[in-house]
Amino acid sequence: MSNAIELVDVGWTADKAFALSDISLNVPMGAIYGFLGPNGSGKTSTIRLFMGMLKPDRGSISIFGRAVPKDMKSILARIGYVPERPHVYPMLTVAEQLRYHASFFRLWDDGWAKELMGRLELDADRKISRMSKGETGKLLLLLALSQRPDLLVLDEPTDGLDPVVRRDVMAAVLDYVSETSATVFISSHLVHELERICDWVGVMDAGRLVAELPMQRFKNGIKRLRVDGAPEVLEAFPFVVLSRHRDNGSGSTETWIVQGWEAPMRYQIETLGATLRDVADLDLEESFVELLRSFRPSTTAGAD
Amino acid sequence: MYQPMLYLHWKQIRVALIPLVVASFGLPLVAVSGLGPAPGSTATSLSAYGIVELTRLWLPVFPALAAAIGATLALSAWNWDHRLGHVYALSLPLTRVEYALLKMGAGMVLALLPALAMWLGAHAAAWAVALPEGLNAYPNQLAFRFLLAIMIAYSTLFAMAAGTVRTTLWIVGLAAAFVVGGLLSADLVLTQVGAFERFDVVGSVMDWLYRGTGPFQVFTGNWSLIDV
Repeated sequence: MSNAIELVDVGWTADKAFALSDISLNVPMGAIYGFLGPNGSGKTSTIRLFMGMLKPDRGSISIFGRAVPKDMKSILARIGYVPERPHVYPMLTVAEQLRYHASFFRLWDDGWAKELMGRLELDADRKISRMSKGETGKLLLLLALSQRPDLLVLDEPTDGLDPVVRRDVMAAVLDYVSETSATVFISSHLVHELERICDWVGVMDAGRLVAELPMQRFKNGIKRLRVDGAPEVLEAFPFVVLSRHRDNGSGSTETWIVQGWEAPMRYQIETLGATLRDVADLDLEESFVELLRSFRPSTTAGAD
Repeated sequence: MYQPMLYLHWKQIRVALIPLVVASFGLPLVAVSGLGPAPGSTATSLSAYGIVELTRLWLPVFPALAAAIGATLALSAWNWDHRLGHVYALSLPLTRVEYALLKMGAGMVLALLPALAMWLGAHAAAWAVALPEGLNAYPNQLAFRFLLAIMIAYSTLFAMAAGTVRTTLWIVGLAAAFVVGGLLSADLVLTQVGAFERFDVVGSVMDWLYRGTGPFQVFTGNWSLIDV
């Protein structure tokens, strides 16, 4: 068993307007897996499918090698989950919510919960209904981490939080991972947030998983090339041209966004009679945007 | 697991439940408030018949209060889970049946509070009134009936409220359609063909539900605190 989460050809239909189609996703054990995608792309629905909250129409799901939803009870005992929206009971205080939550988890670490509460500056006697969004976000993370989970599932955990709280939350996650080598599945539309911490990345768009690869390959594999004198029709390349467009007012110079680029490949461009003027790295956000653009019908690769 | 669930339910419901507990205690006292002993006498000035008639005025209030308490307990049990989209509940390492049973059990224990208040109130009321010969007070029976009525209302509404809003509306809609459709068909069609007596479907179902050994018989039975 090398995957913590495994989805094979999973499909799910919400309504006429939205469906997840043929999602095959693999989260290696011990990885920090960033799940990227614009709002409404299906990230939360995918999470709810493998958390057993939604039932797939087809395909199979397993977590730690156990079938979802058949073995959900034992699976959930090993998952710390921070959902997209706050889901705690507002009439309870922080201490009461901790006691309530702790009663369901055998591995609950009370000492660590107290330590985290101090680190995250949460007041045990504070009523949840009076807490700010940032404090509620920290509480949700505190609940998830104090379970000592083998898998942390974080659905937009820092969405809407201020930078200070966001840093605290991510620091707490990283500390936990470095201590326990737990697997982390973190969804976000904030690309930069994931760039620094993830070692794998999956990209969702319009209900499809359009890419899944190690972060290093994602960061380094997508480049912006400037090419002079390229022919109209491109031969088969060992890299993928995600998009190409002619630069404004620069004659025959084109900008290509390519995936899977390696330096020796420049000779293949030159054999076409074109000249490679320069190669630039894209940051993760630019790569993400270009990748999504290449999968969308209105702006497909090669479109101007 | 059970204790925190009970505590959570208590925190969710206490604002609504405390007045209902007070009402449960006060209702038997109010029901006998006009039956005080005549001045200078150890017995009430009313006849036995008058006492029974007077207390009967309050009889519909007892099952209504029990139903209100059952409804409050049932709706509060699921209220916050519905509002939170059940996401939290579904992320806990429990089967759905286990979770529902824990919730159900918490409500059952909380139902004991108004029943206990009714028992105390009924005993206080029975103690406060000097009854003429031939009449007796039944505080234990009244409190037990009250508890059973709460439990029936709670269980029924708990099961209905556990589903989605759509499911609940379907159940209520079907029940309403059955009653209204049944009544209309009984009144308008069966009466016309002279077959009403033989095919009173709605009447038969209502009889089964509310009389004899039907599940809701407890609401239509004898709620008298004072009787022969």
